[in-house]
Amino acid sequence: MDASPPPPQAPPAGGASAAPALAATDLVKRYGARTVVQGVSLAVAPGEVYALVGPNGAGKTTVIRLLSGLAFATSGTVTMLGTDPQREPGVRRRLGAVVEAPAAFYPWWTGRTNLRLHARLAGGVPAGRIDALLALVELEADADRRVATYSLGMRQRLGVAAALLAAPDVLILDEPASGMDPLSLHVVHRALRDAAAEGAAVVLSTHHLDEVARYGSRAGILEEGALIDEVDLVARRGRYRAVVGDADAAVAALAGVGLEAVRDARHDPRGEGVRWRVARPEGGDEAAVAARATAALVAAGCAVVEVREDVFDLRAYYRDRIHERRGVGVA
Amino acid sequence: MTALLRMEARKLAQLTSVRGAALVLAGFPWLWGYAPGIFDVYGVAIVSGFQVPGLGLASAMEFLMPLIVAIVAAELVGVEVTHGTLPTVLLRPVTRSAWLAAKMTVVAVVPFAALGWFFAASLVAGAPYGFGAFVGGTGVGPGGLAGVGMLAPGAAWAELVGAYAWAAASLLPVALLAVLATVLTMNAASGALATLATLIVMDLLVILPGVEPYLLTRHLSAYVDPVAGPGWVAALIALYGAAFAAAAVLVFERKDF
Repeated sequence: MDASPPPPQAPPAGGASAAPALAATDLVKRYGARTVVQGVSLAVAPGEVYALVGPNGAGKTTVIRLLSGLAFATSGTVTMLGTDPQREPGVRRRLGAVVEAPAAFYPWWTGRTNLRLHARLAGGVPAGRIDALLALVELEADADRRVATYSLGMRQRLGVAAALLAAPDVLILDEPASGMDPLSLHVVHRALRDAAAEGAAVVLSTHHLDEVARYGSRAGILEEGALIDEVDLVARRGRYRAVVGDADAAVAALAGVGLEAVRDARHDPRGEGVRWRVARPEGGDEAAVAARATAALVAAGCAVVEVREDVFDLRAYYRDRIHERRGVGVA
Repeated sequence: MTALLRMEARKLAQLTSVRGAALVLAGFPWLWGYAPGIFDVYGVAIVSGFQVPGLGLASAMEFLMPLIVAIVAAELVGVEVTHGTLPTVLLRPVTRSAWLAAKMTVVAVVPFAALGWFFAASLVAGAPYGFGAFVGGTGVGPGGLAGVGMLAPGAAWAELVGAYAWAAASLLPVALLAVLATVLTMNAASGALATLATLIVMDLLVILPGVEPYLLTRHLSAYVDPVAGPGWVAALIALYGAAFAAAAVLVFERKDF
């Protein structure tokens, strides 16, 4: 198995401009006098991966449960594929969800039997689908063991398989990779990335910020039940920085390189050099575009000292936003 | 709905309480069929295999059978909470009421299955006494165990089958009460205990003459003597069952998970 983290993924089809597959408007949830979700609004289009991030107790799980219809909002609305899932539960035929961590299954039945049961409840799945999903989450060898004997990571992976059973248009997952070893983590994030690439709208709550920063579309930062920021992760990927001898020449070279995917070439405010962005190219090979841009710099006679991808540090961004919100000095 | 019913029926077979109850109910008739103190308690010696199911039913219906029914019904709902599977099922395209209706349908079978198993076990335990005509009673017909003279096998069968059917029917509201209590508490143990507590409180309310005829506990012994008439008891059982089921659905429909 490839144990390396998922490679940077081209932004999925759809994007924020497409009609949302899942939308929440002004969601509020109160338990007595305590407000645990405060006016959360979000919209996730087909093909997007929306990551809800936030400290423990920030309200991620409650938002996930409100979105999936397991909990009732005190006020606000949830729309799934254009309908209210509470009023029209049939829309859940197109929903895949894991809202328990670890994913919950009947322990006395095997993984395969549990999936069969889910398939029946989902209204049936094509022949071979269960085997394909077991292979996807790398559980073929253990499919006929009782779930009671599964490790936490195996149950989480089975949960992702159960969520993907009906090839859902909307996927909602609450910390689908919590407590996992790096290999299981990779399997789960790869499955979610692939589901989005096939057009599913994916919402997940997670603490794995580095992983979602690589393939997510947006990250909503929750703090004390409020969505305090929403980060466009797509716009923050594919950024490159080069240390060059003559920045003006480099900017001009990149502007004239003729590659449509090379955008926003400008001086690097953090040092002597140039920075640019690789927009999603056809075929999705950002690295190849970046290499051609570098070649253009060299061909233009720029003394290229170093070229590197400017990886967005969601973890640091998140920490700063939380500290800012709490009034803690930012390091 | 068929898929839900099949799923719930399969789950029922996996419950610890079901397996425990099956063992207890299989062993219980042997105790009551052959215990040396039976004569001291009832003043009658067992002479027929037909008396073992009757005696067993009379003793089990006082506490054991309502307890078993309450525990099994509560566990069938509570097991979803224990294993965290409730949200997983509710996220499928089934309505909450359909899911709970499937649970309650299977739960409704529990008293009949439990008493059917108990009846069979009692017949096995009573077999050494034989199943011919005998002088005495089944314990659930006229004259109790002493009877009113010679009892033919056919009459004995009829008395026992009728009594077991009545007993199972009268336990139906207990099972549905356990579902309601578990939906309220979202815990199998709490649900079962709340059911027993409710039955005990009902039992204590016999001091209120105006309420007494309507108490469910008053009619748990209807299998031997439906004092207010079979029609009245059947209607009351149906009313209690419907009320508990409707309340369970109402609570469940608006519950956060």
